[in-house]
Amino acid sequence: MSAAQIRFATLWRREVNRFMKIKKQTIGAPLLETFLYISVFGAALGSRVGALHGIEYVVFVVPGLIMMAFSINSFANNSSSILQQKFQGAIQDQLSSPASPLELLLAFSLGGFMRGLLVAGLTFVAASLLVDLPVDHILVLVPSLFLVGFFFSQLGVLIGVRAEQFDDVAFAQTFVLQPLIFLGGVFYSATLLPEPFETLTHFNPIYYMINLVRYGFVGFSEASIALSLLALFAATAVLFAVNLRLFARGYKLRA
Amino acid sequence: MSGRLAFSAAVGESALKIEELAKRYPTGVEALRGVSLAIEPGELFGLLGPNGAGKSTLIHCATGLAQPTGGGIRVFGHDAIGAYGEARQAVGLAPQEPNLDWFLTVEETLDYHAGYFGMPKRERRERTRELLETFSLTEKADERTRTLSGGMKRRLILARAMMHRPRLLILDEPTAGVDVELRLELWHYVQRINQEGTTILLTTHYIEEAEQLCDRIAFIAEGRIVGEGTSAELAARYGVASLEDAYLALVGRKELSRSHIEVTAS
Repeated sequence: MSAAQIRFATLWRREVNRFMKIKKQTIGAPLLETFLYISVFGAALGSRVGALHGIEYVVFVVPGLIMMAFSINSFANNSSSILQQKFQGAIQDQLSSPASPLELLLAFSLGGFMRGLLVAGLTFVAASLLVDLPVDHILVLVPSLFLVGFFFSQLGVLIGVRAEQFDDVAFAQTFVLQPLIFLGGVFYSATLLPEPFETLTHFNPIYYMINLVRYGFVGFSEASIALSLLALFAATAVLFAVNLRLFARGYKLRA
Repeated sequence: MSGRLAFSAAVGESALKIEELAKRYPTGVEALRGVSLAIEPGELFGLLGPNGAGKSTLIHCATGLAQPTGGGIRVFGHDAIGAYGEARQAVGLAPQEPNLDWFLTVEETLDYHAGYFGMPKRERRERTRELLETFSLTEKADERTRTLSGGMKRRLILARAMMHRPRLLILDEPTAGVDVELRLELWHYVQRINQEGTTILLTTHYIEEAEQLCDRIAFIAEGRIVGEGTSAELAARYGVASLEDAYLALVGRKELSRSHIEVTAS
């Protein structure tokens, strides 16, 4: 391995090591949360709701839960890891190394991505044991999940870099991200909503992500797949470019 | 970066060469106002100054933790601000505040640091073992850093700075708040690695530390270098008997001079 490869692998390893050391909080808790959602919305309420668009309710819900697990964990990992390291000053060890802004950004991003992937993967395995979950369009599912994970990793990096206290991260997650995810149609179809809420849902970017993932699993979507993929790719690219610029400038990282 | 000097390739190979370095924080505070300094390879160089004089800002600029607003820095001839890869590789920093990651063990702290500098696994393992031994940290290798005492944290920070075998070691008040025993231990280590060829930039508030350890000393005040030379040269420049009196003259507190106090007491 070259020095640059060792450096990048170490930066990335540190991020993975961090969340694996507190896996009760970073892996166990999100898994339990998802399991509770499946139990309540699938088993308890699902039998009353019946089917949505011809799909059994619990099967309709699970893709959204997997997407939610991927997104929230990618976001939470990066935002808290960066803020924590800024808070402790430990990030100085990385910042004073020869690592480039791109290496630093990619390593932080991949840390969150890996945690999201792990929790989403375990959610998928657990859900598959509980319900008969199809995978209808794997060629849409894989890039969609990849982009969702990377988008939220970038968002986590952005919030972590900008944040000055833990309250800032909690605010972004609790008051912005979670409402958008819940109102994006994880647990219902937007077509069931009365106006103007159905139309308003179309302005929620998470709605398109949920539809992409749901289409990948069960073959049903309320939005255009091609347009949703394109928009998600563009949004991820823009966010990545913004973060790279922040890292290059040292915004709230270097004095 | 606006205002930065364009260094030519012909610049000499000082271990650290700083030219017209300026740093103005977004708040408007001018921490550095055109600092120029050259530290030659193998030197043990002391930087003395009161709190807020610009010592840490200068160090942060040299190590990439602060972005200068003017001037230039080269480490062994390599630009430390623009294409900083080679310059950073040559520098080890032991900061003033313990900036350890609470999640990591002592061993991981050293291993990751060396990894950031591209050191292969086997070499990392050997170097980690060697430095754990040197700094009496072997028994603490598997403990998380947050459980360490203040003295142990100091040792670890110094060991971490040395992990990638830097040619220039920057020590920002390494003995602040440590007991006498550890201070002497650190002094011996600093002198040893300096004799082995590592260039050292040391900031300190302890005059006797600078006097005993450093080949040359610079006084910094209000973001400017106001005096530079050996201990004797600085004392002569201020027309006083010792480095401590020269320092007191610099900060305008001559009345605190030991000789003044002794004379008054008698």
